[in-house]
Amino acid sequence: MPLIELKRVSKYVLRDVDLTIKDKEILVLVGPNGAGKSTVLNVIAGLVDYEGETYFDGKNMDRIPTHKRGVGYLFQDLALFPHLTVEDNIAYGLKVQGYKDAVIKRRVAELLNALHIGKLKGRYPANLSGGEKQRVALARAIASFQKILLLDEPTASLDAQTAKYLRTELCGLLRQLEITAIFVTHDLLGAEEVADRIAIIHKGQIEQVSSPQDILFQPKTDTVYEFIGMPNILNCDGCHVLSSGLVEVTSGDMRMVLPYEGDVIRKIAIAPHDIYLSDTKPPGPALNRYTGRVSEIISLRTVVRVRVQIGRNSLMAEMPKEAFDEMNLGVGDEAFVIVKLRRLRYFQT
Amino acid sequence: MSFKRLAIAFSVSVFVVYAGLILSLFYFYQGTLFVTTLFSERTLFSLRLSLTAATIATAISVFFAVPSAYALSRYQFFGRQVIDTLLELPMIVSPVALGAMILIFFNTPPGQLLQDRGIPFVFSIYGIILAQFVTTVGIAIRLIKASMDEIPRRYEEVAKTLGASPPKAFLTVVLPLSRRGIITSAVLTWAKAVGEFGATITVAGSMAMKTETLPIAIFMRLASADIEGTAVLVLILIGIGLGILYGVRLLARTRSYV
Repeated sequence: MPLIELKRVSKYVLRDVDLTIKDKEILVLVGPNGAGKSTVLNVIAGLVDYEGETYFDGKNMDRIPTHKRGVGYLFQDLALFPHLTVEDNIAYGLKVQGYKDAVIKRRVAELLNALHIGKLKGRYPANLSGGEKQRVALARAIASFQKILLLDEPTASLDAQTAKYLRTELCGLLRQLEITAIFVTHDLLGAEEVADRIAIIHKGQIEQVSSPQDILFQPKTDTVYEFIGMPNILNCDGCHVLSSGLVEVTSGDMRMVLPYEGDVIRKIAIAPHDIYLSDTKPPGPALNRYTGRVSEIISLRTVVRVRVQIGRNSLMAEMPKEAFDEMNLGVGDEAFVIVKLRRLRYFQT
Repeated sequence: MSFKRLAIAFSVSVFVVYAGLILSLFYFYQGTLFVTTLFSERTLFSLRLSLTAATIATAISVFFAVPSAYALSRYQFFGRQVIDTLLELPMIVSPVALGAMILIFFNTPPGQLLQDRGIPFVFSIYGIILAQFVTTVGIAIRLIKASMDEIPRRYEEVAKTLGASPPKAFLTVVLPLSRRGIITSAVLTWAKAVGEFGATITVAGSMAMKTETLPIAIFMRLASADIEGTAVLVLILIGIGLGILYGVRLLARTRSYV
């Protein structure tokens, strides 16, 4: 049974949006700034008036005020109450909903423990680091046993490493607690790590809702294709396991050795900015390096896109204008290609 | 002269004006007269009346100001701009004119009905409280609204998503976060009410041992050319005023959340 349904919802930039979020699913809503991502969350939380209908478990929620919707919301700016300690911030929802003191105490202790913030319980938000605030805000958002959690770019203000760590941890916790979550972000890479499904939103319209793999390998519209970085898709002809965690894949004349735990790879996506080009043969072993011929050069304002033909495969590489200018490459010239392995994405089924 | 010294010179000159005025009181200061005047029945009555009326007027002002300030800070409604502009009334109309307006109101049919069947405001302590309330409530709302404007609405949104109804969000989030603004507003309202003269004398008159507040007592002493007595009462009023301002300074040093 679908847990959250939006039907023909319009508000600000949103135009007749239909969206269904399944029970216990983590749906990541991805789109550029101003696409209407936060508005979708505000509609679900009932923080704004809107046209259209919203349903939770089949029940119409249009006239239900925010405080009766039972939706946890982790805002981008976190907004921890500055006059309350960490412990009181987490207990806030339970207190205003009239839970008994013993229940509040047990639940707060449980969350302090689960999110490893026990030592912070007496501190005020002004004395917390970015990551600590994040954990406290999350604990507060799920404290009163909410089954729906909205997350508005909650890791945007953190450094990449902390953000990744928190996202993974967060995701594990959401699955463990069987919470249905809508996670808003403009970072597609971050989305793939946590999503059951990804919804791409652009100018107030949902362009595609699919599994992360389908978004990457079967983009339905040009907007989605552009948004995911116009990746090069290689169809794999053969694939065999070299040793545990390492496979060799053939695609036309290209042979690639990749770190991979499974046994079959059907397709590989390579973002244009993950392909390095050189006009001279780079030193080092020949593994995962290819020689091709430049077939097209597209010069844009700050970047240059260069298409290189390697046998039957055609790869588009993208580089800053200055980097291209330093090379002496023209159409028809020989070019040496290195693929950045760590950023490759695979499709196995 | 450097810019820094010039700026400091200006601030010192203002200090000299005020300090000079205070010091000049001591030219007529007589120790024994100070004690006898301060502890005279009439002065003690004026002092008690001033403090009681100002405290009640402040309580009523703040009671009206807190929800009004919240409405003006958070909601868009018909007439909001008009109300917002009318709050300046006590500042643009002189206190005597405000007092006159109150008196004129009590000479209209609804005013007379209120005076006869309800509370007798004219020439009574109720009139003093009303005059002080009218002259202070606009400013109280202004000050509290300023502190509420600084509290991001996001906190209330968070409170609502956590299950707090709008009144509960107001009581548990907005009120504690604007606590300092409300206290500062209350203290300044009280100080203004204690020193209020024009509207008070117009509405309540200057009956000794009945409606004679401290500022009215000062005026009466001066009118009878009792300069020494006037100086003593002014010193008492200054003592109260500066004491209050010192209290505000101390409060301003307490924790600020927003």
